[in-house]
Amino acid sequence: MRLMAMACCALGVAAAWTARADQLVDIRHKGELTCGVLATDEPMSFVDPQTRTIVGYEVDLCRAVARKIGVTATVKQIAVGARIPELQQGHVDLLAATLTHTRQREAVIDFSLTTFVTGQKVMVRRDSGITNLPQLAGKKVVTVKGGTQEANLRKVVPSVEVVTFETAPQALVALQQHKAAAFINDEVSLFDAYAKMGPAQKDFVILAQNVSTEPIAMGLRKNEPAMKVAVDAALRELEASGEAQKWFFKWFGPGTRLQYPTRNFKIESDRVPD
Amino acid sequence: MGQFDFSVVTTGEFRTWLVSGFLLSLQLLAASWLLAVPMATVVALCRLSSVGVLRGFGAVFVEGIRNVPLLVHMMFWYFAMPELLPEPARNWLYDHDAEVVCAVIALALYSGSYMAEDIRSGIRSVSATQIEAARALGFGFLAAMRRVVLPQAFRIVVPPLISQTLNLWKNTSIATVIGTAELMYQTQKVETNSFRGVESFGVATLAYLTVSLVITAVAVGFQRRFPVRAI
Amino acid sequence: MSESLATYGLYFLIGQYPNGPLGGLALTILLGASALVLAMPVGILLALARISDWRVVRWPVTGMIYIVRGTPLLMVVFWAYFFLPAVTGKKTGQFTTMLIALAIFNGAYLAEVVRAGIQGVPRGQTEAARSLGLNYGQTLRRIVVPQALRNMLPSLVNQFVTTLKETSLGYIIGLQEVAFIASQVNSQVIVHPVAIYTALALTFFVLCFGLARLAGWLGVRT
Repeated sequence: MRLMAMACCALGVAAAWTARADQLVDIRHKGELTCGVLATDEPMSFVDPQTRTIVGYEVDLCRAVARKIGVTATVKQIAVGARIPELQQGHVDLLAATLTHTRQREAVIDFSLTTFVTGQKVMVRRDSGITNLPQLAGKKVVTVKGGTQEANLRKVVPSVEVVTFETAPQALVALQQHKAAAFINDEVSLFDAYAKMGPAQKDFVILAQNVSTEPIAMGLRKNEPAMKVAVDAALRELEASGEAQKWFFKWFGPGTRLQYPTRNFKIESDRVPD
Repeated sequence: MGQFDFSVVTTGEFRTWLVSGFLLSLQLLAASWLLAVPMATVVALCRLSSVGVLRGFGAVFVEGIRNVPLLVHMMFWYFAMPELLPEPARNWLYDHDAEVVCAVIALALYSGSYMAEDIRSGIRSVSATQIEAARALGFGFLAAMRRVVLPQAFRIVVPPLISQTLNLWKNTSIATVIGTAELMYQTQKVETNSFRGVESFGVATLAYLTVSLVITAVAVGFQRRFPVRAI
Repeated sequence: MSESLATYGLYFLIGQYPNGPLGGLALTILLGASALVLAMPVGILLALARISDWRVVRWPVTGMIYIVRGTPLLMVVFWAYFFLPAVTGKKTGQFTTMLIALAIFNGAYLAEVVRAGIQGVPRGQTEAARSLGLNYGQTLRRIVVPQALRNMLPSLVNQFVTTLKETSLGYIIGLQEVAFIASQVNSQVIVHPVAIYTALALTFFVLCFGLARLAGWLGVRT
């Protein structure tokens, strides 16, 4: 009996010790950092049809972070609703998947410094006659499953009818087929989708009002302080060296579809409002 | 994995979502079933008829539908078919829960094609002499079917049809990909908002299993009450 | 339309390979075949457990089979995706997750097919084998299962076709199989949804109907 108890204690201690083994140490040991990305969200992360590789702003950032840590990056595509579970299960080491830093999510995962600031906006069909958010009451709005869009919209317009799909492009198809009056997503995706529409642009309008402000950050597993320190340090270095700014303009700047004239944030903080 | 707290998903707003999803799943089951069974009977009779064109139509219907996954059917009926409709019809569809209508169409056709095959083999297993005797007595094809063959085929056909009903119930979960707010869709929504994966999926699995159990019990009961008689 | 075919044709057929993981039609076929191959031993083990003389083996397995068959496959996929790593302690990608979910799900169905196949081998075979001195395991391995497999061939072909169709559920967990890619292409092209989804349906039709026909040609009567 005593022997059993001692064996159990020993196992427990061993389990606890291995459980607290450092993620950063593991990654350096493996030589590889797995980045979870959406690959369906241009230009944050998407598949380039010519080269059939996954590219984008967050892909560049993640590769650079891996380089600074001293390992190579592996990019893995994951579904929107699976982001947090994938990170928690250890399928991916880091989330670079248009993940909004919310207080609610802080209970289950940690966040790096904010890497992008965007807002969630609504794109409406011009023939719906909707010019402001309250007019969405009782109307049908589409978006992607597994994100913050639905909850944020309901806070502003409680009686809205939301229908969600597995990917954002799928939801956009639904809007373009007139199945709904509006489509809610973060403004980067909206502006990109709008720009890609070409002549069909005249049928759609992006409402200026923000449904919410979204600080986008990389997702990290909880209780891995060394990992967070390393990722944040890498991001600060990228900001200081100007590489972060360079990538912003590469994917969002004047030469691109989105044409953001300036960058109105710096990668420096992980504080978010309540 | 941490503490499991089922009360989170069984109370308040989350419970409302799960219950409404469950109810919609049941409605999808009922509506699709009611459309599928008559359609299947017609297709089965087509495949058994002596008219070549009808036989061909039946074969194309069954093989064309069965060899394509239900997910692809759902995508087709929701994202492709409405584009072929004239605009007034399309707008009417979109104003009246297109997600539910298209899901029912896809489910009814898919189940119907499998049921048609079960009905066809059931009818064929009724001894040929029965049909010959009926025709000899002066019944036409349809009358012979209605009065002599189908009543006998009934006992043989019902067990596989109940099995198809079970499949239909499980298949309603695929409607989530076209935005139909049935149980699977609501479970994904609850999981996103509560971060409680095990609890939400656990409750939903239990809900699916309960109805599956009822359907299986009906099958067992039927076979006990109406055993197939050898003639 | 033909330019869409040229631009996206390769992506549809093999996904991102070699610039990324294998996808598209090639992945669908690979996943379907692997899942069926994996489901066979699962099905055989479960079938043997179901006809076993020991209640402690028979009852839990029968219960498990009923649970798996009463649950939608999509639910099984979600369980495998979110909770399998916690159980096995190993990290799994979408392909492995679908593979395991399909192997378990089809294994539970194959258990019935295998059980019927085994019980369809005449009792005389088993008796003759035992009287010749073969033990339980050898009888199964050398005499009963080979004959049972021949009986089961039509059902196995059906199950392969079913498994190929089931791979489409990988769409929902982001696996780049052929339905996912078709949807991505559709969201880029926008104006040809009927053509794209009809092409997707036709791809599956040719694959599945063709397979059943091929089996018939090779002498397997379904």
